[in-house]
Amino acid sequence: MITTTLPCDAVCEARCLSVAYREALVLKDVDFSVPPGVIMAIVGPNGAGKSTLMKAMLGLIPTTNGSVRFFGRPFQEVRSRIGYIPQHASVDWDFPTTVFDAVLMGTYGSLGWFRRPGKHERQLSWAALEQTGMAHLARRQIGELSGGERQRTFLARALVQDADLYLMDEPLQGVDALSKHAILAVMRGLRQRGKTLVMVHHDPSTVRQLCDWVTLVNKGVVATGPVEDTFSESNVRRAYAHMPTEEWFGKATA
Amino acid sequence: MSFLLGVALLAVVTALACAIPGVYLLLRRDAMMTEAVSHAVLPGIVVGLLIAGDLDSPLLILAAALTGLLVVIGTEYLHNTGLLEGDAPLGLIFPALFSIGIILVSQRFSNVHLDEHVVLVGDLNLAAFIHLELAGLSLGPRYLYVMLAILLVNLAFIWRFYKELELTTFDPTLAELLGFRVRPLHYAFMFLVSVTITAAFYAAGSILSVALMIVPAATARLVTKRLVHLLALTAVIAVLGAVAGFAAAYALDAATSGMMAFSFGLIFVLVFAGERAWAALRPRRASRVG
Repeated sequence: MITTTLPCDAVCEARCLSVAYREALVLKDVDFSVPPGVIMAIVGPNGAGKSTLMKAMLGLIPTTNGSVRFFGRPFQEVRSRIGYIPQHASVDWDFPTTVFDAVLMGTYGSLGWFRRPGKHERQLSWAALEQTGMAHLARRQIGELSGGERQRTFLARALVQDADLYLMDEPLQGVDALSKHAILAVMRGLRQRGKTLVMVHHDPSTVRQLCDWVTLVNKGVVATGPVEDTFSESNVRRAYAHMPTEEWFGKATA
Repeated sequence: MSFLLGVALLAVVTALACAIPGVYLLLRRDAMMTEAVSHAVLPGIVVGLLIAGDLDSPLLILAAALTGLLVVIGTEYLHNTGLLEGDAPLGLIFPALFSIGIILVSQRFSNVHLDEHVVLVGDLNLAAFIHLELAGLSLGPRYLYVMLAILLVNLAFIWRFYKELELTTFDPTLAELLGFRVRPLHYAFMFLVSVTITAAFYAAGSILSVALMIVPAATARLVTKRLVHLLALTAVIAVLGAVAGFAAAYALDAATSGMMAFSFGLIFVLVFAGERAWAALRPRRASRVG
C-alpha cells in the first residue's frame, strides 16, 4: 500500500475500517486521510465497495472494525459540518413534494425538533437552487425531473446545510451534459471556498481532470494520496485487475 | 341528538381519524401494515374486554394498541435478521396473533359480547347505540367522543411533527444524518396508528378499517403533487365517502361500514378513471425522462 505522509489537520480520517456482509468481508482495513480543501475521488471497479465505504464512514451501515473521524471527532459531534449527497436512486421520486420543498429539507438539521423553516431557511434554499441552476424548476414535482436535475436537487439540498465537508456518492452518474457542467461548477466553487469534497467516482478516465486527491479501492485501499503520484498506471492496474486501463492514460488499446 | 345524526357524525369522524395517518402509511409503503395491525389487535381487544368490560374503554384501546405494536416491532426484528425477505415477516406474525384472538373469541370467552362477524366487519350502528347524556340532554353516541379524541390526537401529532414526519418518510437516511431519531418517531406514529385502528375496530371491523385508512389517501395521491395538498384532499375524500356511504346505507338499509368502504372504493375508481382520461387527452411533457 502506498500512503503519503498524513497531514495532522485531516478533514476526514479512516483507520482500519472494515465492513462485513454476513460472513464475507466487503472492505478490509481501510486507512486514508483527506486534507482540507481538496476534491478527492474514491475510485475502483464495480463491486469494489466504494459506496459501502462512504456509507460506513457515515455510520449508515455497521462496521466490524476501525473508526472514522471528521475534523478529529466522531460523526455525531460534527454532523452539521458534513453534507451527504446519496445516489439519486435512493429515494422515492414519486413522493409528493416540489423541488423547493425537497431542498428546504436540507435546513431541517439546523432547525432541530419542532422549529419550522422560516424566511431565513427559504432564502438559503432559493440561493442553493440558483447556484445549481434549478431555480426555474423550483415548483416542479420531483418525479418530473430528469436524472441530472434530480442530482442537482440533491446537491442543492446539501448546499443549504453549508457544510465544510461534502460526501457525494456518484454525483455524475447518469447525468446529462448540462447537469454535469452545473454540478462540476458548484464543486469547484466549493473547493475554492476551502470546502472539502469526497466523491465516489465511476469514471477513472476523468480523475486527473476533476480531482486533486484520490483513493483507489478494491475491497480495501490500494493506494491513497495526491492524484499526481497516486493515480499512477501501476496503482490503477492493481485496483482494476483484469481490466483494460491503458486508455485512461491516453494510450490507444487496439 | 337524533340517532341518525349520531351515526352520520360517527361515520365522518371515524373516517377522518383513520384517513389522516393513512397518508403517511401509504407514502411509507406500509399500507399492508394496517391490515396486519388491524388483525393483531384482536387478542388485545378480547382480553381487554374481559378486564375492562367495555369496548370503548380507553384502557382497552391502549392495551389492544400495544398488541398491534407487536406486529410492527416483530416484523422489523425478523426483517433485520436477514433470514426472511419482503413481506414474509408480516405474513408470519399477524395471522398468529389474529388466530389467538379468534380462538379466544370462539372458545374461552364466548360469553363476551363479540362475535366473529363483528370482528371482521364491525357495526357502526351498534357502536352508536350507547348515547352520552348530560343533564337529560342527549349529546350523541358515546363512541363519537372516543373517535373525536383520537382524531384530535392524530391531528395534533401530525401538526407538531409535520416537518419530522415529512423528512423521515421521504428520506430516512438524511433524517438520520441530520440528527433526527427516526425510530422513536416511527414507533410513536405506529402506536397512534394502532390506537386508531383499535378504536375504529368497533365501528368498521378489522378488514374495513384498512379501507378507511388507505383508500382516501390512495385516491388523493393520484391527483396531488404536494404533501399539504395530499393531506387536505384526503380529508375531503374521507368526509365525502363517509357521508355518501352513510346515506346509501340508510336508503338501502345496508350495513353502514360496508357501504362506507364501498363508497371509498367507488370514489377511487372515479378519480382513477378521470386521471387516466386527463392524462390521455393532455399533451405529454417532453422533459419526463430518467
